[in-house]
Amino acid sequence: MTWLTPLTGLLLAAAVVPPLLLLYFLKLRRRPAPVSCTLLWKKSLEDLRANAPFQRLRYSVLLLLQLIALLLVALALMQPQIDVGQRRGGRFVLLIDNSASMNTLDGDPEGRGRSRLEQAKALAKARVERLFGTGLFSGPPGQIMVIAFADRPEVRTPFTDSRQQIIEAIETIEQSDGGTAVAEAFSLARAFTTTPDPDDATAAPEAPASLELFSDGRISDLDTEVLKPGESLVYNVVGRAGDDNVGLVSLAAQRPYESQGQIQVFAALANFGAAEISTDVQLSVNGTVQAITPKPIRVPGATVDPTSGAFVAGREQIAFLPFEQPRSAVVEVALLREDALEVDNVANIVIPPSRRLRVALVDEEEFFLPGLLDDLKLTMISDVQSMTGAQFDALAEAGELESFDVIVIDDYAAKRLPAGRYLSFGAAPPLEGFNEFGVKGQLFVRSSKTEHPIMQSVDLSDLYIHSMRAITAASDIEVLAEAPEGPIILHASRGPVQVLHVSFNPLDSNGPLGHNFVTLVCQAIEWLGTSRDALTREGLRPGQPITARLPPSARDVRMRQPDGRETSVATPDPELFAWGPVKRVGLYDLTWEMPGGEGRESRAFAVNLFSESEGRIDPRETLTLGQEQVVGRRPEQSLQTPLWPWALATCIAVLMLEWWVYVRRTGV
Amino acid sequence: MTTARPNRPTRPTRVDELIDGRLMAKLDQVDVISRKIFAGKLQGERRSKRRGMSVEFADYRHYVAGDDLRFVDWNIYARLDKLFLKMFLEEEDLSLLIVLDASASMEYGDPDKFTFCKRLAMALGYIGLSNQNRVTLWSYGGPEGEVQRLSNLRGRRRTQEMGAWLLNRDAGGTARFEDAMKTIALGRQGKGVLIILSDFLLKEGYEKGLRYLASGGASGGSSGGGYDTFAMQVLSPQEIDPARGGLTGDLKLTDVEDGDVAEVTITPALLRKYKATLDAYCGNLREFCVRRDITHVTIDTSMDMDTLLLEYLRKRGLLA
Repeated sequence: MTWLTPLTGLLLAAAVVPPLLLLYFLKLRRRPAPVSCTLLWKKSLEDLRANAPFQRLRYSVLLLLQLIALLLVALALMQPQIDVGQRRGGRFVLLIDNSASMNTLDGDPEGRGRSRLEQAKALAKARVERLFGTGLFSGPPGQIMVIAFADRPEVRTPFTDSRQQIIEAIETIEQSDGGTAVAEAFSLARAFTTTPDPDDATAAPEAPASLELFSDGRISDLDTEVLKPGESLVYNVVGRAGDDNVGLVSLAAQRPYESQGQIQVFAALANFGAAEISTDVQLSVNGTVQAITPKPIRVPGATVDPTSGAFVAGREQIAFLPFEQPRSAVVEVALLREDALEVDNVANIVIPPSRRLRVALVDEEEFFLPGLLDDLKLTMISDVQSMTGAQFDALAEAGELESFDVIVIDDYAAKRLPAGRYLSFGAAPPLEGFNEFGVKGQLFVRSSKTEHPIMQSVDLSDLYIHSMRAITAASDIEVLAEAPEGPIILHASRGPVQVLHVSFNPLDSNGPLGHNFVTLVCQAIEWLGTSRDALTREGLRPGQPITARLPPSARDVRMRQPDGRETSVATPDPELFAWGPVKRVGLYDLTWEMPGGEGRESRAFAVNLFSESEGRIDPRETLTLGQEQVVGRRPEQSLQTPLWPWALATCIAVLMLEWWVYVRRTGV
Repeated sequence: MTTARPNRPTRPTRVDELIDGRLMAKLDQVDVISRKIFAGKLQGERRSKRRGMSVEFADYRHYVAGDDLRFVDWNIYARLDKLFLKMFLEEEDLSLLIVLDASASMEYGDPDKFTFCKRLAMALGYIGLSNQNRVTLWSYGGPEGEVQRLSNLRGRRRTQEMGAWLLNRDAGGTARFEDAMKTIALGRQGKGVLIILSDFLLKEGYEKGLRYLASGGASGGSSGGGYDTFAMQVLSPQEIDPARGGLTGDLKLTDVEDGDVAEVTITPALLRKYKATLDAYCGNLREFCVRRDITHVTIDTSMDMDTLLLEYLRKRGLLA
């Protein structure tokens, strides 16, 4: 219990109680009255006292009641407050959610548009203040640790009893647009709580700390978490239910086959509220409005699947008419409707200029692959240059292979592989980690990673391999498909060298006879050719890093963030540029200078939310961790309960009781 | 606050204020009766067991030498030739002892108990005088604290003397009931009716004093030693119901006799307890008296004197 103004109450008690006692004694002065004999009166009094065990107390019950009333008034003036159901002392971990859904502007009950994160921070600070206490009799606060988490946790401050440090750590938590994953945050908290000194493994583990979560409860990995024995979790619910939200959950653009100078944009909208809504959608290209949907798009309300009980957001697709844009462009799609969560109302996509791949084919046999590549000239490949193995080695020595986007090597044992992207068949590439140890025959594919981009929509179960080069691969080489006798398709990344290796010659298999293998080769060439640039087209998610392959001579690399801040990025190898992870959605502009160049080169990166879990903004009232249900606590359910209204109410009741007793005693 | 003490000017100063002619006329028809037949010193209007010279025949007995020849029944002698002596019931006088409590506690109430008792004593005494009874008045307590006596009055001509004596009695001091009863018991003679007028509110207890009277005192006889004893407990309305006397709130009650103080807060519960205590006290007194053949009578001073004498005391067997 804390006392906000203890001195006031004490002064009042000191000023009022003694006069009351004086008045009470004055009041007790009795009127003299002669009687014939006091015998009967004394006997009556004795009997009355003998029959009433609390006679002495009742005798002065008026004084007692008046004293109680005065003390209650004094108590009320001291403004006592009590922490309901909370312990003090010990260790606390404050877990503050700063994911995208915490951008929702409903965190203020008075509707002033405060975000949920701001409210969560305010709640956390209030909690810290309570733990430290502001009253006269406040106890020790204990140790407090602050962790902010979105898709990954961040320790804002380790365990400390410094109030200023804790408050500062909370105040400096920045909003992010990432997803919400609490598992790592829990692990991090446990690592700190159960190990008193990470440098001293022999130290005895300490009791688990009390975890206090400030979140809207939309946590994607909550079902994988359980509370450890002795752990306690307090869930402070932030945000209110009832606000609708419509967001963009997908955005794509492509250049039609027949017209590579045009761009067509597709977008998907999701409605996370129960009611159907309609909204206009605007398409902008390089900051200029290109189109607005001729009539509002109606998005049905969200439903709950009756069989699984799963939440199903209402969806609607939009396809904008193609427009002419041969050069690169930043396309923005925006919903012209205000709702509680704005970060998913706008999405960007960066479209590279119309461009086809330039491919080199190192092929001695000139049979299957040349024909396939010639066919691809209609779509993705602009130029195929065939060469022999000797010519390849010569160009490699001369460093003249940089102009090719992809180099296809058909069963040729090259001497070395300079920087570049390679699709090789048969002979193992001359890279560390590839070891040939003979030939195997009559094989079928046993397993394959169908989720890899080059393996999508590819079924290799019918692929028969007459013979292949047996290979052992290092652990860092990714095996995409393998037979019982060894890996068949491998992906190796050695800095600037990217290699997709197929360990047999296509002509030693039935691959060329079926469409699956042909699809595989096409997807491999496209994936390699667009590697690293691919993200610029597909867009990034918050939490991912921005990577780019800059010219080796690039210098003074800078990154301009969506909020306008520009930071200089020191990168030792421009070809392996990485920055991030990004926290906010929007357009990131990477610029650099080239020696002798005029002006700065630039490349844009679009970061979009595209998250249905974050788009659902109605807060979850109860968290389920394993078998345990944690009921959320509302911010208005202030745990610091003021007691002065109760003291005053009790005082009034006591005064009424005193009046009643007085009337009853004196009324004859 | 209204006190229960009467104002001095209202106290009677003349005999006719104690008893007026109208009441005296009514009392002429009333006599004091006793449950016992007494032998008196003088021939009175009482019938006695003693055979004597009245006109009422009682019995015969054989003549013995020395008997008064006037009482020989000569008719029987003529028929039987034997001397028989006629025996008659002799009428004797009645001793009426009236004891007046003059302690300070009697001067309480409205009307106050002392004045009431003086009027009652006057009326009873007048009845005794008018019926040729031997009337003796006693008082105890008073400012002097001694037992006072006016003894052996007979005949109506002594009415003024009795009234003057009563008018001179003042209440005050402490009632030493035991000593007073002992003195009265030793001082009484013969047999008769003894009436005690008191409130019997005695801290030292009434038992010993009454026991003197019940044991017959100097007479040594049983059952009051030949005295038919009446204990008349006179209480004021304020003592019976203190709320009527204005006793409310926080009070410091002072005993008018010994100055003893009792601090009370008058509450309904206390009043209920007081009444229960009073009832129990009177009940104990009545039971004590009954066990000792003493008639206990409770009298409220607000009672009309005519009603008291002509109805109430008749019913209780004192007057006829």
